[in-house]
Amino acid sequence: MSFESLQDLYLGAGPALAPLLWLTGGLLAVLIAEITPGLTRLRPAVVPAALLGAAWSAGQLIAEPSGLVLGGTFMGDSQTGAFTLIFLGATLLAWGQARHYYGQEEPFLGEHDALLITAPIGMILMAGAQDLIVFFIGLELLSIPLYCLAAFRRTRDDSVEAGLRYFILGAFGVTLFLMGAGLVYTTAGTLNIEGLGDALVALTTPLGSVGMALILASLLFKAGVAPFHLWVPDVYQGSPTPITTLMATGTKAAAFAFLLRLAPILPSEAGLPLGIIGVATLALGNLGALVQTDLKRLLAWSGIAHAGLLLLVISAAVSAAGTNQQAEILNAATSALLLYLLAYAFAAGGALGLVAWMEADGEDHTQLSRWQGLGSVRPGVAAGMTLFLLSLGGIPATGGFLGKWLAFSTAVRADMLPLAVLGALTSVIALGYYLRVIITMWMKPRPESWAIPSMNRPLAAFLAGFCAAMVLALGLIPGFVLGPLF
Amino acid sequence: MVDLLFYVAAAVSVLCALGVVVSANPVQSVMMLLGSFTGIALIYLLAGFQFLAAIQILVYGGAIMVLFLFVVMLLNQGDPVALAREQGVLHKEQLAGGLAVAGSALAVLLVAVARTDLPRPIFGYLWPEGGLDPLLGMAQAMFGPYVLAFEGASVLLLATAVGVMTLAKRQRNKPVAAASTSEEASA
Repeated sequence: MSFESLQDLYLGAGPALAPLLWLTGGLLAVLIAEITPGLTRLRPAVVPAALLGAAWSAGQLIAEPSGLVLGGTFMGDSQTGAFTLIFLGATLLAWGQARHYYGQEEPFLGEHDALLITAPIGMILMAGAQDLIVFFIGLELLSIPLYCLAAFRRTRDDSVEAGLRYFILGAFGVTLFLMGAGLVYTTAGTLNIEGLGDALVALTTPLGSVGMALILASLLFKAGVAPFHLWVPDVYQGSPTPITTLMATGTKAAAFAFLLRLAPILPSEAGLPLGIIGVATLALGNLGALVQTDLKRLLAWSGIAHAGLLLLVISAAVSAAGTNQQAEILNAATSALLLYLLAYAFAAGGALGLVAWMEADGEDHTQLSRWQGLGSVRPGVAAGMTLFLLSLGGIPATGGFLGKWLAFSTAVRADMLPLAVLGALTSVIALGYYLRVIITMWMKPRPESWAIPSMNRPLAAFLAGFCAAMVLALGLIPGFVLGPLF
Repeated sequence: MVDLLFYVAAAVSVLCALGVVVSANPVQSVMMLLGSFTGIALIYLLAGFQFLAAIQILVYGGAIMVLFLFVVMLLNQGDPVALAREQGVLHKEQLAGGLAVAGSALAVLLVAVARTDLPRPIFGYLWPEGGLDPLLGMAQAMFGPYVLAFEGASVLLLATAVGVMTLAKRQRNKPVAAASTSEEASA
C-alpha cells in the first residue's frame, strides 16, 4: 500500500468522518481550555460549538452521502447522518440540562463536558459501523464515559451505585459481544457486515448462530430490552438526570442504529422470536411503570417499553429478509425508527429536563408525590410535562403518535399483524401511568406549606420550550420539519 | 509434539484463569494472571502469530502486570479483616446460580462446536516465513481500513483517563474551583 493510496483512502473518507472530527476536536479543546488558566472561561462555549459543527457536517452528509469509506469499514450514508443528528441533539439536551444541575460537583464540570462529548463519538461509530471491530470501539467509546458520568455525583450513594452497576453489567454485555464476534469470525472468516451478508451459510451453522445470538444479546442489553432490562431502572434513577437523558435517548438510538444495520444479514427465521421479545418487553415495561412512585424510575420503565416497540420494528425488517419486499420494508423500518427515536428524544429528553429543572430546587423532586398540584403554581412546567407524557403515550397531534403509527404499520406490512395488535393493546396500558402523573399535577391540591419551586433558569426554560415545540411540530407539521432531512 | 504443546498451554491458561478468580490473596491472583497470559502467548505462537505472542508477553506480561501489582500494593491487601469480609460476600446460592449459568453456557458452546464442521487447524506447518502477522501487513491494516478503530481507541484511552481522574479525585483545589464556579454563574 503506497502513500498515495493511503491519502486517497483518508481524503475520500473526509465528509463521512467530519462529524467525528468535530467532536474529537471539541474533546481536545475542552481539555486544553480546562488546563489553560486564561482559556477556562471559553469552555462552556466549546461543547455547543463542536456539537453544532458536527451537526452541520452531518447535514452535509445527508445531502451528499459518501457511501462506504475506509475500505468498507464505515458507512457514510444519509442514515448515519440522520442518526448522528439524533445523537447530537440528545447530547446537546444533556449538556444544557447539566448547566444548572450540579451543586457541589460543579468544579468538575470540565471533566463532565469532556466525557459528555466523547459519548456521541461512540454513538456515531456504532451507527455507521460496517465492521464489528469499528462497532466494538464505538460501543466502548459510548459506554466508558457513561459509566463515569453515571457515578458523577460521588457523594451520593445512589449515583455511585448506578455507576458501579452500569459498569459491571455493561462490561459483561461487552464481553458477550466479544465472545460472539469471536465465534462469528471463527465460522465466517470475516468481521465485515457486507462479508457476513455473503457468508449467511456459515452464520446459520450452530456455532455461527451462537455467535450472532451473543452479539444480539449485547445489543439488546445496551438498548434495555427484556430479559436484559434489569439494570435500567436503577441506573436511570441513580444517575444524574442529564446523564439519564443521554442514556435514554442517545444510547438507545445507537443500539437500534446498529441493529438496523444487522437486520438484513440476520436469517428471516430470527424475525418472529425478536418480535415476540419486543412485544413481551413492551408489556413488561408498561406493567413495571404502573407501580412506580419516582418519576425517573417511571420514565426508565417506560423507556424499556419503548425499546420493546422499536425491537418490533427491527423484527419486521428481519422477517422480511429474502422476500421480494425486503428493501421496501427495510426502508419503512428505517424511517419508522428514525422518526420514533427523534420524537422520543424530544419527549423523554424534555420530560427528564423538567425533572432536572425541578431538582435544582430540592433533591426529592423526582418523587411523583412532590409534583402534586404543580399545575396551580407552575402551570407552564406542568403543561410541558403533560405534553411530553402525552407524546410518550402516542396521543395524536404529538410526535409520539406519528412514530407509533409508523412503527405498527411497518410491523403490519411485514405480515406480523398479531404481534402488532398485541403491541398496540399493551401500549394502551402506558396511558394509565402517564395519566396518573398528569392527574397528580393538575387535579390534586397542593399543600399550603410547600414552597413554590423558584425555577429561575433561563436555559432550562429555553430547552423545555424547544423540546415542546419540536414535539408539537413533529406531530402537527411533520413534513415541514422532516422535509429537509429525508 | 505441537499438539501436545497446545494442550499444555491451553490447560495452563484455563487453570491459571480459574486461579485468578478463586484465590483469596490478590498478589496470588496477579501471579495467576501472569501464568494465564503466558499460556495464551504460547497459543498465539503455535498458531503462527509471532508478533502478537511477543507483544502479549511484553505488554500484558510486563507492563500491565506491573500496573496490576502497583494497584494491589496500594490497596490494603492482606488485611485479615478485609479478607474475611470479602470471603463472606458471595452466598452459596449465588455461587451455585453463577456456576449453573456458566455451566449451561459452556454446554451450549461445546454442543455448538461439536455440531459445526470447522476446518481443523494444522499447527506449525502452513505459516509463511515470519509468521501470519508480519509487521508490514499489520501496519497496513491498522492505518488502512482499520484506521477508524485505531484512532477511536486513542480517543477511548484519553476519555478513560479523564473519567478515572474524575472519579478518583475527591475535591478540586480552591483557586480553580472558584474560577470554574464564577464561570458557570456567568454562563
